[in-house]
Amino acid sequence: MSVFAFDWYFIALLLFIGFYAMLASANIIRQLIGLEIVTKAAMLAVISAGALTNNLPLAQAIVITMIVIEVVVVAAGLALLVKNHRLSGLADIWKLNSLKG
Amino acid sequence: MIYHALLFVLAVLTAAWAVMARSLLTSAIMLALVSVFASLLLFNFNAPWAAVFELSVCAGLITVLFIGGVSLIRASLEAAGENRLFLRLLPLALAIFAIAAWFYLPPFFTEMTGWRYIAEDTGPIGTVLWQLRRPDLLGQIAMLAAGVFVIKSVFPKRRAAK
Repeated sequence: MSVFAFDWYFIALLLFIGFYAMLASANIIRQLIGLEIVTKAAMLAVISAGALTNNLPLAQAIVITMIVIEVVVVAAGLALLVKNHRLSGLADIWKLNSLKG
Repeated sequence: MIYHALLFVLAVLTAAWAVMARSLLTSAIMLALVSVFASLLLFNFNAPWAAVFELSVCAGLITVLFIGGVSLIRASLEAAGENRLFLRLLPLALAIFAIAAWFYLPPFFTEMTGWRYIAEDTGPIGTVLWQLRRPDLLGQIAMLAAGVFVIKSVFPKRRAAK
């Protein structure tokens, strides 16, 4: 098995764990943790592909952009979670109705 | 190669632990460990800039954000309880997926390596980041501004009651 295939096999396992967390739990924090795991898998996939095609500088530049986006998404998600929790006392993804304007 | 494989195995194990942990604080700390292993992997891929960003931002800042968020709502979350049936089934589902994927995915990924195009030399990361991908920097600034705007609109300044 090539190194690339070996890496991507484990990246697929990480993706599975992330998507499973997002599907199996209604808790917003676990959903965000699942999203983080999926993002890390995507990041490793980009760098692995960059290493394969001898294009690591470009892959690193894309990963840096991904990290910035990741931070903003997590901060916004946690802000919505805290706001929803203040209004309804819940952290359930299916009960975000209290945020309706 | 063994070090590389060990880092991937540890990343997968800590990710599974982060999802399954009963306490959300433990989940946040395990997620930080996943970030640490991911950044060590990035170092091992010879991508130090991405690794440093991953280590400082994901293992540091995002963990602080998670711990802050969890601390604010932990008491009521623990009182409310959580349906953990599907979370307990994760090792079984992961084992089934890992065994099935072992037969199908590696041959496909090995075939994918034949489709690759070797890129032209783009120069060091400084050249790529500041010249070739300059619009990305504008996008990053726009994303950060959008994040600040979201947080400001979610938590508006309280007006004193008249």
